[in-house]
Amino acid sequence: MFKKLIQESMGKSPWLFHINAGSCNGCDIELVSVLTPRYDAERLGFKLAGSPRHADIVVVTGPVTKQSLPRVLRAISQVPEPRCIVTMGSCPQSGNVFRGSYSVAGPLSKYVHVDVDVAGCAPKPEAVIDGLALATQILKEKRGQMK
Amino acid sequence: MDLPFVKEALQQLFSKSSCAMYPVVPSEAAPNYRGRIVYHPDRCIGCGMCERVCSGNAITRMVEHLPEDQGDKITLTFNLGSCTFCATCADFCTTHSIEFTGDYHMVATKEEDLLVSGSFIKAPRKKPAAPAKAAAPEKAAEGCAAAEPAAEAPKPREDGKPVNDPAKCVYCTLCARKCPAGALTVDRAAKTWTLDEDKCVACGTCAEACPKNCIIL
Repeated sequence: MFKKLIQESMGKSPWLFHINAGSCNGCDIELVSVLTPRYDAERLGFKLAGSPRHADIVVVTGPVTKQSLPRVLRAISQVPEPRCIVTMGSCPQSGNVFRGSYSVAGPLSKYVHVDVDVAGCAPKPEAVIDGLALATQILKEKRGQMK
Repeated sequence: MDLPFVKEALQQLFSKSSCAMYPVVPSEAAPNYRGRIVYHPDRCIGCGMCERVCSGNAITRMVEHLPEDQGDKITLTFNLGSCTFCATCADFCTTHSIEFTGDYHMVATKEEDLLVSGSFIKAPRKKPAAPAKAAAPEKAAEGCAAAEPAAEAPKPREDGKPVNDPAKCVYCTLCARKCPAGALTVDRAAKTWTLDEDKCVACGTCAEACPKNCIIL
């Protein structure tokens, strides 16, 4: 009984962990504006976690530079299953304008399975909320499969 | 006892929320917002300028040769997952076939969902009409090489391809450098201006680039 209660409660409040993989800061600021009172994703249950071990959803911004790649993979590996990886902006999906640079190791999908892509440069906060809502659904499905 | 901020606190308690209640209240993007790309293949002439100016390499052009002289099938694919939404492609498009809309809901679980694609068939050039038309720019070029003063400005062509006025032309090669299809050859020393009819897509970029306004469309 308690297990069911915990499962349901976790589905209603997914915690986010934000990884900056060499982003230009545009997407990071948009993510902050999603979480702060103007768009206030916390009213929908999303909460920014300080540690990857507390997180359900990982939001990655930036083109995944060579310097950041081992840290990104290490942080993602510390997130417990079921987890959902969301890429924010064009950079982690393709490299965007940084594609082909000597210091870019991306796209992120080369290294880990990416669940949701939010396109835009930078995406509007509304688009990020859409992406997080989709991630919550995917998380729910994954949690159902794990039982 | 003095109670500070009581008035403020009560005001805030009954004031309207400053939060944008997004999923409940739908939100429109600001005017001129650059969101999802809409491509109009019916207007496109396949000059390739958009592909050339794209900073994120988001645009790919596929040319498929159709059998029996049916022309070429040209497919343009815009990868929104690689796009910077700078709209340089739309600015450079002479036929306004690329449009940025206010649709910002670009969320996908697969990469294919972020592709915007469109294709059109470019008809082959009519063979019988070709020799007569091809002669026109050569004639103009020859006229100038012999330093004959052109009596009157050449008339614009029916197919929208450029004609040079040798009386005004200074052979600065700007038109050849701007031509997205590489159809123009300008020789400064020999003072010749030649057009490759097969390559020209009639986009009008050369006429815009011309500082002397001597290219007539």
